[in-house]
Amino acid sequence: MNVIETSSLGKVYSSNFGKKNVNALQELSLTIERGQIFGLLGPNGAGKTTLIKILLGITFQTSGTATVLGSELKNYHFKNKVGYLPENHKYPSYLNAHQVLKLFGNLSGKGGAELEKKIDELLALVNLLQWKKTKVKSFSKGMMQRLGLAQALVNDPDLIFLDEPTDGVDPIGRKEIRDLLFNLKSQNKTIFLNSHLLSEVELISDRVGILSKGRLLREGNVKELTERKQEFEILTENFIDEIYLQQSDGIKIDKHEGEVISVRVNSLPDLNSFIDQLRGKNIIIKSIRPLRTSLEDLFISVIKESEGGNLK
Amino acid sequence: MKSVWIISLATIKEAFARKVFIFFLALSMLVLIIMIGTYSMLNADMLIGSINKAGGNASIKEIMSSLELLVISPLSGLCLLLSVFASSSFVPNMLEKGNIDLLLSKPISRNQLIAGKYFGGVLVVFLNIFVLIIGVWLIISLKFSYWDFSFLLSSLVITFTFAVLYSIILLFGVITKSSALGMMIAYFIFIILSPLLLAGRNQFAPLIENDVARKMIDVFYYIIPKTSELMSSGLINLASGRGIVDYQPFITSLLFLLVMLGIAIYTFSKKDF
Repeated sequence: MNVIETSSLGKVYSSNFGKKNVNALQELSLTIERGQIFGLLGPNGAGKTTLIKILLGITFQTSGTATVLGSELKNYHFKNKVGYLPENHKYPSYLNAHQVLKLFGNLSGKGGAELEKKIDELLALVNLLQWKKTKVKSFSKGMMQRLGLAQALVNDPDLIFLDEPTDGVDPIGRKEIRDLLFNLKSQNKTIFLNSHLLSEVELISDRVGILSKGRLLREGNVKELTERKQEFEILTENFIDEIYLQQSDGIKIDKHEGEVISVRVNSLPDLNSFIDQLRGKNIIIKSIRPLRTSLEDLFISVIKESEGGNLK
Repeated sequence: MKSVWIISLATIKEAFARKVFIFFLALSMLVLIIMIGTYSMLNADMLIGSINKAGGNASIKEIMSSLELLVISPLSGLCLLLSVFASSSFVPNMLEKGNIDLLLSKPISRNQLIAGKYFGGVLVVFLNIFVLIIGVWLIISLKFSYWDFSFLLSSLVITFTFAVLYSIILLFGVITKSSALGMMIAYFIFIILSPLLLAGRNQFAPLIENDVARKMIDVFYYIIPKTSELMSSGLINLASGRGIVDYQPFITSLLFLLVMLGIAIYTFSKKDF
């Protein structure tokens, strides 16, 4: 079952009495399956937060359709299975951590002893149990972020939207959040992640989308997107002399440093014939791995490409 | 309905986190303590005797109503002024970026959210004024050993007057996301416009020869909520057991309230955050 489905979703913000229009989202079609961690990347103002806000009914789309957990957006009842951590979230300053979670738990239809137990569990999970009765106005940015994460999980959601979840969190805290997200994924929860920390998104996401100026430029499996087509690195046990390496039509040697060879092949049979060639010279092969580009490099090249006028 | 109640309770909590409501509650307590002290020194029969000697034959019920209103009238006015001030930020606070996103991400409709904010605000003023009214009523009833419940109804008139003013604050809070304009309009209606239109209609209109000008005053009089009449004749009649003598100020003010709420709910339901 698809947890999120959008079709040609568009959002136009009008200002100055309709004289100035900003296309925050354009023809966005996206499908996210259950149990995935989906990372949405994009420069500032790309429309990442607008997309989440539309899916949660905080902002209304101008065109297109969308469903969340199989429900249309106007039916707000689906939200009892949704958690959300907004960017720059704000809680009433007169409430303490426990009261914040109780308020949002109650609003999600939870209550009683079950909610109290859940609150304690979540506060322990985000290392805030000792601050349970402390007013949130005295919380640091990192503590607020951790409380926000607990708030997003208080109703035991199936789908969790996280907008810059590690913002203001120290490296150890980030690692803990990453582990928590993996744990949620193992429980078949779906996570929609907005972040500008590309390395982090790369580490945890199954699929990513790259959004710029409201358009979804690239979307797919992280491994597939970052894979450098038909480029491999071969590690051998012993130093290979240059004379052993013969380039042919289907094989191009990009790099050769001692025991490491990077090759670009036209097809997998070409790669195999190259390996046969090495094996024929009694060269021991330790590993062969497909070469990948980093998500950051991919992101920059996609954005640059789009700014050059070639979308997708 | 449960969601509306949760938001209402959160609004009450927010109200009491503000010092203004606590200040009014403390002031009410002080007044009640002074009343207990004063009335414990007075003899009820002597008090009735001296009032009657001065101004003819007043019933014990009339004397009690007068004494109760003597305390409630100025304090209820102050309560309304403070309540308008304190409640004006309820909606703008709710609409702050980061807060409204969270609320709207929960399984609660926008109508329920705004209704909860409205009822919470009205409820907190009712609680505040009810503490004062029930205290004054208990002290005077115990003193005169006469129990007339009609005075308690005055809490409803004061709360209704606030509800009308709060509907203005709510609407302008939703439209502007700020407290200033709604508060200023509510104060303007309560302190200036409503008393002025009442006086204009009753005292100046007969002196105006121009029909159009007279009609204009009439139109404005019926459109603008009658907070002045509610807090004067409406309050006195109900508190002294005469009930609602003239329904017009109540009905037209209620219609004004409903229109304000209707526009506020509609605007909120269409707004992007």
